[in-house]
Amino acid sequence: MLTRGFKIVQSKRFEVYIEELELIAGSAIVKIETAAICKADLRYYLGSRDARTLNLKYPINLIHEAIGTVVKDPTNSFEKGDKVALVPNLMISKDKQDDFDIDLSSDPRLGENYSAKALFASSSYNGFSKDYIAYPATNLVKIDDSIDLNIAVFSELISVAVAAIRRIILKDDDVIGIWGDGILGYILCSVLKQVHKGPIVIVGHSQNKLDMFEGVKKHLSNDEKIKDENINVAFECIGGIASEGGIDEIMNVCLTGSKIVFSGVAENSIRINTRRILEKGLAIYGVTRSNVDDFKAAAELLKRPDFSHDISKLIIDKTSIYGIKDYYKVFEIEAESRALGKHIMTFKF
Amino acid sequence: MNIAIILAGGKGTRMGIVDQPKQFIDIYGKPIVVHTIEAFDIHEQIDAIAVVCLKEWHEDIKIWTRKYELNKIKWIVDGGETRQESVLNGLKAIEADASPDDIIVIHDAARPLISHRIIVNNIEGAKEFGAVDTVITASDTIIKSLDDDTISSIPVRKELYIGQTPQSFVYSTIYDAHKKAATSELQDSTDDCRLVLDYGKKVHLVEGDKLNFKITTMEDLLLLKSVIKMSKLENI
Repeated sequence: MLTRGFKIVQSKRFEVYIEELELIAGSAIVKIETAAICKADLRYYLGSRDARTLNLKYPINLIHEAIGTVVKDPTNSFEKGDKVALVPNLMISKDKQDDFDIDLSSDPRLGENYSAKALFASSSYNGFSKDYIAYPATNLVKIDDSIDLNIAVFSELISVAVAAIRRIILKDDDVIGIWGDGILGYILCSVLKQVHKGPIVIVGHSQNKLDMFEGVKKHLSNDEKIKDENINVAFECIGGIASEGGIDEIMNVCLTGSKIVFSGVAENSIRINTRRILEKGLAIYGVTRSNVDDFKAAAELLKRPDFSHDISKLIIDKTSIYGIKDYYKVFEIEAESRALGKHIMTFKF
Repeated sequence: MNIAIILAGGKGTRMGIVDQPKQFIDIYGKPIVVHTIEAFDIHEQIDAIAVVCLKEWHEDIKIWTRKYELNKIKWIVDGGETRQESVLNGLKAIEADASPDDIIVIHDAARPLISHRIIVNNIEGAKEFGAVDTVITASDTIIKSLDDDTISSIPVRKELYIGQTPQSFVYSTIYDAHKKAATSELQDSTDDCRLVLDYGKKVHLVEGDKLNFKITTMEDLLLLKSVIKMSKLENI
């Protein structure tokens, strides 16, 4: 069938693409319903990556945070009408991997999202900014009918938070610090509130944003009292060049033997105080993306009303996308937005 | 129930091709009519499809139904001598299964770039108003000439729209309008809305899309081929 979608062809330029959609073996056809823009999408839109990398990617459908409706599924994994989250991290078939990749994907604390050969929607293959998509049924995760699709669209970010927690073994009495009052920090905090019994401390730069976090301790960055919290597990959710200062603060205030999980992306190299790592015997973990099981965990969490309520606060507004002009508009608004939350798109073209 | 009637009865004489009507021409491995049917077959608000075409193409439609897994085709109906007759044949064919308040979405097979939104707006519009026509605004000035040689008048552009399909109606309205027209002098209407207007009902407008153009000439075919970009799904 003929589908239509929006591809970015150069910075700040989208084009409508009409493409023939083939139903590949193992795939289901999904109508994309709601979608949200990620920071990575904005980097493509604004052209804020190096020109060579961008030129190798364009033209490409952006968007990897989306919820859709199954309209056809020859694999019989889903009912017609089922709401699903699309898992953007796609492992290639086992026969195309080498032993190293298979080893990685079978380690539950790593998973297939760490395979160098895994593909990622809107980065190494086309994303979800289209009306219909043929997508591997194994990469679809059912979303309960009771869940508002404007909330469910946060599944991808929730799954990334789940993946970050998966990297380490948490004990009930661990004191967790989250650095970053942005959207990932907020979602990670919301997930931890559901799964962790011990204290959770948020460290951020904006009092306004910190005020949105509920049921946890909050500190502005550089507050000397952070040290008194005795944090022994820290999550860095800052990203960019600002993560340098955040990571430095984490290393200075956390206890000896602490575990630190990095989840923010810095385009350029940042400086890290290795002396402090040695002195304190710190363990550092990296986290990237998420896999199908993380999405399943996210779908389960969304069934909890208090969790769903926490996530609903991230909806800044909802825009119906009837055509490319609406799509441009939301990208422009999202690029300018400094608020905690997202502008959710409903695809109606 | 929302029923689509796909009109594939034309002979495509303006195309120049003699052995095949335009709607059966192959575009990247699939006939145009199949691309069009697929847009309705996949649409969650369409319950059943009737395809109206010349008798000699019925078997092909049956083959394509299986080959392309088209699940909603319930009727394959003989086309008439005119568009009006073809639509009436379609309306008669569904009579046993359709209710008077069902929504009928009538669409040209030669408009394969119909969007999901236009189908939604047609169904919702027909439910609300009883009759809707898909139109786009006229961006070029329309010239009226009665002698095919000189300008008779230049109508005010902002009052003009270009009609597309689908045209959608409550079943009883469009069927009654057709039955009435069949007994009148109006036998060759190229537009169902005209029959509904003559029947005394208002027809509301639904915003169309320039991409929803009709493949009528070789130039249209070229345009369609250049619009469809080959997808790059080989990665997954």
